[in-house]
Amino acid sequence: MSYRKLFYVLNFLLLGVFVWAVVKDNDAEWKTYQRTYYEKMATYLDAQAGQQKDPAQAAKLRAQADEYRRHPLAIKQIITDGLGRYDRCITCHVGMDEYENPGMTTPFKTQPYAGHPDIAGLVKAHPFEKFGCTVCHEGQGLATTVADAHGWVTNWDRPMLTGVHIQGSCVKCHGDFRTLKGAEAAAKGYDLFHQHGCLGCHSIDGVGGTISVDLGDIADKPIPRIAPYNFLRVTIDGKHLEEKDWKIQNWILGHLVDDPEYVTPNDPFAEDNAEPIAPSPMPDFSKELTRDQADDIVAYLMGMTKVEEDEIPYRYHVAAPPEKEPRFASAKAHGKYVFEKYGCAGCHGVDAVAGRRRFNALGPGQKDYDPKMTKAELFAEMEKGREPTLPDLMSGYDHDELVAKIEQGVPPTAAKKWDPNGPLPVVYMPAWKGKISKKELDDLATWLLSTAKQQNLGF
Amino acid sequence: MPTLDIDKIKQEVVDSQIWRAVFRGGVWSDTPRDRQAHISGNVWLHLHPAKVRPRALKWTYTWGLGGLSFALFLLLALSGVLLMFYYRPVPGLAFRDIKDLTYAVSMGRFLRNLHRWAAQAMVVAVIAHMVRVFLTGAYKRPREFNWSVGVLLLTLTLFLSFTGYLLPWDQLAFWAVTVGTNMAGATPLLGNSGPFSGLLGMHVNNDLRFVMLGGTSVGANTLLRFYVLHTIAVPLLVGILLILHFWRVRKDSFSAAPYQANEAKVDVWPNLVKREYIAAVALVIFIMFWAITKSAPLETIADPNVTMNPEKAPWYFAGLQEMLVYFDPWLAGVLVPNLIIVGLMAVPFIDTNPKGVGYYAWKERPFAITMFLLGVVMWFSLMAMGVFFRGPNYAWYWPWESWWTFKAAPPPTWNVFGPHGQAVLPLALGVPVLGGLFLAAMLLPKLIQRDLNGWKVLGGVLLATAALGAVGAGMGKFTGTQVGFLLFFAGMTTWFGFVMPQRHIRRLDWARYLVTMALVVSTMGILLKMGARLCFNIKYVMTVPVVSMNI
Amino acid sequence: MSEPKMVQPPARFPTRPAAGTMTRGDFLWMGWSALAAFFAAGAAAGARYIFPNVIYEPSQIFNAGPAKDYDMGVSMKWLNTHRIWIIRIPTGIYAMWARCTHLGCTPNWFPDQDRFKCPCHGSNYTLAGDVIAGPAPIPLWRAKITLASTGDLIVDKGVLADQPPKRSQAPFFLTNSELGLS
Repeated sequence: MSYRKLFYVLNFLLLGVFVWAVVKDNDAEWKTYQRTYYEKMATYLDAQAGQQKDPAQAAKLRAQADEYRRHPLAIKQIITDGLGRYDRCITCHVGMDEYENPGMTTPFKTQPYAGHPDIAGLVKAHPFEKFGCTVCHEGQGLATTVADAHGWVTNWDRPMLTGVHIQGSCVKCHGDFRTLKGAEAAAKGYDLFHQHGCLGCHSIDGVGGTISVDLGDIADKPIPRIAPYNFLRVTIDGKHLEEKDWKIQNWILGHLVDDPEYVTPNDPFAEDNAEPIAPSPMPDFSKELTRDQADDIVAYLMGMTKVEEDEIPYRYHVAAPPEKEPRFASAKAHGKYVFEKYGCAGCHGVDAVAGRRRFNALGPGQKDYDPKMTKAELFAEMEKGREPTLPDLMSGYDHDELVAKIEQGVPPTAAKKWDPNGPLPVVYMPAWKGKISKKELDDLATWLLSTAKQQNLGF
Repeated sequence: MPTLDIDKIKQEVVDSQIWRAVFRGGVWSDTPRDRQAHISGNVWLHLHPAKVRPRALKWTYTWGLGGLSFALFLLLALSGVLLMFYYRPVPGLAFRDIKDLTYAVSMGRFLRNLHRWAAQAMVVAVIAHMVRVFLTGAYKRPREFNWSVGVLLLTLTLFLSFTGYLLPWDQLAFWAVTVGTNMAGATPLLGNSGPFSGLLGMHVNNDLRFVMLGGTSVGANTLLRFYVLHTIAVPLLVGILLILHFWRVRKDSFSAAPYQANEAKVDVWPNLVKREYIAAVALVIFIMFWAITKSAPLETIADPNVTMNPEKAPWYFAGLQEMLVYFDPWLAGVLVPNLIIVGLMAVPFIDTNPKGVGYYAWKERPFAITMFLLGVVMWFSLMAMGVFFRGPNYAWYWPWESWWTFKAAPPPTWNVFGPHGQAVLPLALGVPVLGGLFLAAMLLPKLIQRDLNGWKVLGGVLLATAALGAVGAGMGKFTGTQVGFLLFFAGMTTWFGFVMPQRHIRRLDWARYLVTMALVVSTMGILLKMGARLCFNIKYVMTVPVVSMNI
Repeated sequence: MSEPKMVQPPARFPTRPAAGTMTRGDFLWMGWSALAAFFAAGAAAGARYIFPNVIYEPSQIFNAGPAKDYDMGVSMKWLNTHRIWIIRIPTGIYAMWARCTHLGCTPNWFPDQDRFKCPCHGSNYTLAGDVIAGPAPIPLWRAKITLASTGDLIVDKGVLADQPPKRSQAPFFLTNSELGLS
């Protein structure tokens, strides 16, 4: 080809590629949604006009419809300087623009054309111009494409909260969320969290056990801190996650709806380490909790964020009502409450019915240790290790002995291993002296001893 | 009805006072005089001479790489200025502005992609340009100085990329710059953690790193500093050096090719200008296509407490990052890069071979071309290792392995001379042994003043190594892979570090010989140390912790 | 026309004046020196200019809460805010700065492998902070910890130690008895 021809061809190509760039830029995802919304509204109003008997009214509706058709397309955003959020969600979700559509209702059911539900007067209490969208919903407010805006993409750590998880956002500001209308799931999650003894190992802002991580800022946990080969094993509803779904809510949920021992197997046979390391000591709650209950707990924990608490100015926060220690008619009832309050259920089971798994400890139904066993057999036996089932032991203690035992605890090194070469069981009985009041301790012992009696009566 | 006489209108326009005020010369009639006047009457085109030797027009000679680098520089300046309209160099705001460019500014995403990819293309173009100039010997007298200016321009191109990297204020940016500036902190004498830094009383708040950061860690000051460097200071410097570079190219008759009998020069307009235009437009089309189809990466906002896993440098710095695995920062991050830059600038002054100016001539310049290509190949191999063979925790992952597979922790490393906290062993034994080896490697090729059979030498060394390996393997000390590695590194260093210099440069004068050998021996040193780490887990050959001197 | 008078031409170079007065040569020399000195002073002032005198960086000291709140192992409690691991071992507690001593990235703790691993260049550290693999030249830094009268741990990242024996005694390592822990 001669240079002259090449000159013309390349100039055409240059223009062509640039036009392509302009067209592609102009063909933004949000425009389709906004245009469709206006068209749908116009069609809807025309249909309304068709049914209208009064010609003046019909003309008015038609004029409105025409206005929708002529509506210019633009990126719309809510600027909430107070919260430092700049949310462009209403660019596509036009029906939720409180100026465009003050009623927040639209005749459409599907997103992004639907309106915003007003659960328990929620919208009125949180005017959008002041709160924006992402402070509750999370996601990426600045983005204007579907995937990026909803945040279920790599490189965005706080994707949109789905289902009941959004109630975690109530917890961020509402100290009184347990009695708040609309935050029922989070409240239920809070109760479940305490009933099942999570607090025995995890603390919330320093209150609770020290065996595992503090959950007071669990929603801020940076994803790079979680080893990919562990995230890869998270199974929710029988499915592994796609990489774009490796988010903190799924990490928590994965620990509740599946066996954490599977998620974090560690190195029980010292294949990569000098010392064997037990798998995650977190109990398998997947049998105890329904899927909905697990979601409730996630909802509560998604409110456990320090980053956002700091970002949201104090005037947006609602203080928690002063928590009063409930009063109980009997020492036994109080003791049962204490058992729950300090997270004893985390190891000894809800209402102390049965001790939970304690890897490589001794447990009922275990075979004798035999070094000739295969790894799978060894693993299965180590898994049968259990925390003490308290009612079985109570006959061996009197009140004072039991109080002393709880006060002193059992140091981690005193654990008896089933496989002498296996890992040291991780969870142990902490010393409760100084952490629990004398009255609470007495009543706890009273209740525990009473469980033994009930057990024994039957036999 | 009057007819439309196009030629008459053209004539009137061209003869009007306004046209004449702007453009000199009359109606274009494509005479040689017109063509020359066109070049000399236009300040931009006047970067060219009016006539040029036909050799300079050959695509297979220049590949148009210098011109393409300049075209990319212009494209970057244009897109960069446009990006500046929407960018504020303040932490938080900077990241938001990049998000805005991506999501809300018309053509913003395209412009950012264009800028990013053009920058990467420019790095490629400039490196390729340098390789071409080397291979055609176009740095030889009288062009030595312009070659040095070119090396500086390459360095500044990389520095522009580095400073631009911080501006999006995402994790990628933050950690690349944290690592990059900490290398500055490891500079001998001037950095707080470099060897002998105590002599000048260097601390985190008064050393070289502190100046780069404007603080003790990457923060608002750093962003502002990098912004000023990236948008004003360095481009200005590049512009000045470019003028110098072009002016010299023009003065040195545009092509180093040897003169042929009866060589007639040809007009630059249109012969050269049309080629430049075609190449530049084709490149711009390519970059635009790339910018449309592939978006520039943007990770989460910078977090000084969390590092992404793995954290990887951009590909053109991946070689440096890979080298940092084997060497202490003051070596890999300061000494070696400076040695490369100074070494490259020294090339025209140590290469006394008069042959091979202006054409590709492997046979006439075997030593220069082999050694240069060895350096280029090593550098790109390091890059490839960093980009394709490293996964989470910067562990070794084969390209076909998933990054999500579990990797056992790497085995512990050990030091040859200098157990922890002791200086006696390294100083009493390490310095003599290493110094002796270094001197031997430096001097032996020149001291043996007779023709050796290189293949026999190589064979002998390989045989000896194989014997050693076999004994080691027999004693259960080495594995097969280790012996393989050993053979590879022994062969490489013997051939390139001894046989080649002995054969080709032993007759060089001492000054040039020593400078050349210093470069050759340090290249071999890098190879050997990498081998030592990869096969035998040797961390340092010698360490004197007291002065942070680790080799 | 009268005979032109021969005029004595002025000396091209004046004869050296008495000592203590300035010659033209001296003046020129000093003039050039003044210019050179101006450039040197300008460069020095410019170099000084780019060293900031005040920087806005967060405090190096923080309160890490009561010692008894830490269980055996690596606590991530202050990692997100202060980049510090509080590590309790059977004999006591130390605070380790989560900054790789190689080039300043934040290593991650892998409890399943009992190691800290840096994502930038692959340095590996033990629980004590010693380098066992990778390029890091020195162990991880331990920060100074003191026990406040309230029983809280006060961590100061401004005072650091990396080598034993310094790092394994107060204030870089507090034993159980020093902390009042059983």
